[in-house]
Amino acid sequence: MIEVNDLKKEYIEEDTTTRALRGVTFKIDRGEFVSIMGPSGSGKSTLLHILSFLDRPTGGSYKFLGKSIDDMNDRELAHVRNKDMGFVFQSFNLLSRLTVYDNVEIPLLYSDIIPRERKKLIEDAVIAVGLEEKLHIETGKLSGGQKQRVAIARALVTDPNIIFADEPTGNLDSESGLQVMEILESLHDKGRTVVLVTHETQTAEFANRIIKIKDGLIESDKTITTNRDHCSGQLK
Amino acid sequence: MTSKDAFKTAIRSLSHSKMRSILTMLGIVTGIASVIVIMSLGDSAKQYIVGQIQSMAPNMINVQPGAPVMGGAPSAVMGLVIKTLRARDVEALEREPSITNVSPNVTGSSRIVYGNKSKSTLWVATTANLFKMTNLNFSSGYGFTEADEIGYKHVVVLGSKLAEDLFGSDTEPVGKTVRFEDITFRVIGVLEPKGSGMFSMDGYALIPLSVGQKQIRGIDYYQELNIQIDPTYDTSFVKTRIVSILRTSHQITDPTKDDFMVTSMDETLSMLGNIMSILTIFLAAIASISLVVGGIGIMNIMLVSVTERTREIGLRKAVGATDKDIMIQFLIESVLLTLTGGIIGILVGAGIVGLIYFVLTTFFSIGWIFAFPPLAVALGLLVSGISGIAFGIYPARQAARKNPIDALRYE
Repeated sequence: MIEVNDLKKEYIEEDTTTRALRGVTFKIDRGEFVSIMGPSGSGKSTLLHILSFLDRPTGGSYKFLGKSIDDMNDRELAHVRNKDMGFVFQSFNLLSRLTVYDNVEIPLLYSDIIPRERKKLIEDAVIAVGLEEKLHIETGKLSGGQKQRVAIARALVTDPNIIFADEPTGNLDSESGLQVMEILESLHDKGRTVVLVTHETQTAEFANRIIKIKDGLIESDKTITTNRDHCSGQLK
Repeated sequence: MTSKDAFKTAIRSLSHSKMRSILTMLGIVTGIASVIVIMSLGDSAKQYIVGQIQSMAPNMINVQPGAPVMGGAPSAVMGLVIKTLRARDVEALEREPSITNVSPNVTGSSRIVYGNKSKSTLWVATTANLFKMTNLNFSSGYGFTEADEIGYKHVVVLGSKLAEDLFGSDTEPVGKTVRFEDITFRVIGVLEPKGSGMFSMDGYALIPLSVGQKQIRGIDYYQELNIQIDPTYDTSFVKTRIVSILRTSHQITDPTKDDFMVTSMDETLSMLGNIMSILTIFLAAIASISLVVGGIGIMNIMLVSVTERTREIGLRKAVGATDKDIMIQFLIESVLLTLTGGIIGILVGAGIVGLIYFVLTTFFSIGWIFAFPPLAVALGLLVSGISGIAFGIYPARQAARKNPIDALRYE
């Protein structure tokens, strides 16, 4: 599904060049749950932005579903983001004055899905995160955990091939964080590809593969055979 | 994004900051209302003046002595004494079948005295025909007759304002005597007030032509001819006939040597209409400056809105919105603001125009005409819509150009 080869990203500001990614190579297959880990400034968020078509690399190649990012214009990238990708952000990025329903509807506004088919998709997505009773509540009135669940519903509503989650538990207490991770895990269990960026080990361990990044290079890329201990019931 | 979704999204965004939207619209409301009021009042004034002229002197053609002038006042008005209009001209014109009446005039100014009151006034010496040609009505008494004119009778008809100034409201002027130019005149009639229109006779004294021309001025020419045409004839045809008759009478063979100027009431009305329209457009253009100010206000608020909603823009882009989608969304918001402002401005303008009409007709007894030209409404809507695009395009472009990552990180 994802194939990156010698991926590089440099930021040039005046006389200073910052090399955020210095040649990263890996593949992600359909149905994988991958955590990208690394300390602050390691390049993990830059990598996620490129993988999720929010940014372009300055070197190397990136193919998504067999198609190179270099062959797509901004309009096509936007179309792929809408159709094939779902996003979950650390800070939720919900429009607080809109209801759960209206927030979840946002990606559909830019899709080819006709308005009369939207209602069921939105309700299904909200049911999938267990917030059906909050459907017409403004998201500003929800708790942090509930907000992130709305964000997951919004990521799910277009039935994307892959979900990108950038520090999804970063702003949550441990209990809410666990709920969010369990939802992401259940989505993976149903066959969806999930790519997660985190600096928390316990969050990363929900994945079946952990790619560690340091100074813009892959430090390690390990597949976890033994799943984490769910009995603990909490994230640290 | 469907247009319905785009409108829904824009309305939702605007309704989330109602007070700001209302305040932003105020500039456009004021601008559009000003333009509407000026255009409507201009139209009303035009209709009022034209109506006044038409009611005073329907089917009239005016002949002034002196060569025709293009774009300037007639020579006679400029103080030159031109003696080309004579009795033989009037006789020749009266024989023309397309002409109903001819009324030659001689004018002057004198101090008119009644008892211990006096008033400087303009007098018009004319024939009895004038009362037939114009819609002058009498509040008391009657006009002079042909017999009065032939008999050099010292009778006078006073305009309503002049009568009021000399006699006050308690004394009936008819039957009293007034004095000017060392002649004592018996008041035989008082005209109904006509208001302050340009053809108003309210401040004038009307006397028989023979008295004014021969006894007071001692001249044998006329200063003006007013001609009433048969309405079954075409005005331009009659005008051509008058020119032809006067050229024959004055033995003029070269048309460039005309010593008279013929103006039909149609031409006067058309000229007045043009002047009023130009004046209205000029005033509306000045008022539209406030529209530009309002538009700049819209642009300012839209720029603030774009900055405040940077994260929203980032999110929308992340989930699939293109630059065009974002641009259209903000443009629709801007156009909705100005268009709503425009509609409110039109309603406010209509309210002000209605209020002015009510005040003028109720408290000042002016026969004002309520005019609310559809062109002003169409123009108001068009201008407000265009200003929404013109002043919204820059903020919308700013929004559309935002990098999604930077926008999502914006604090």
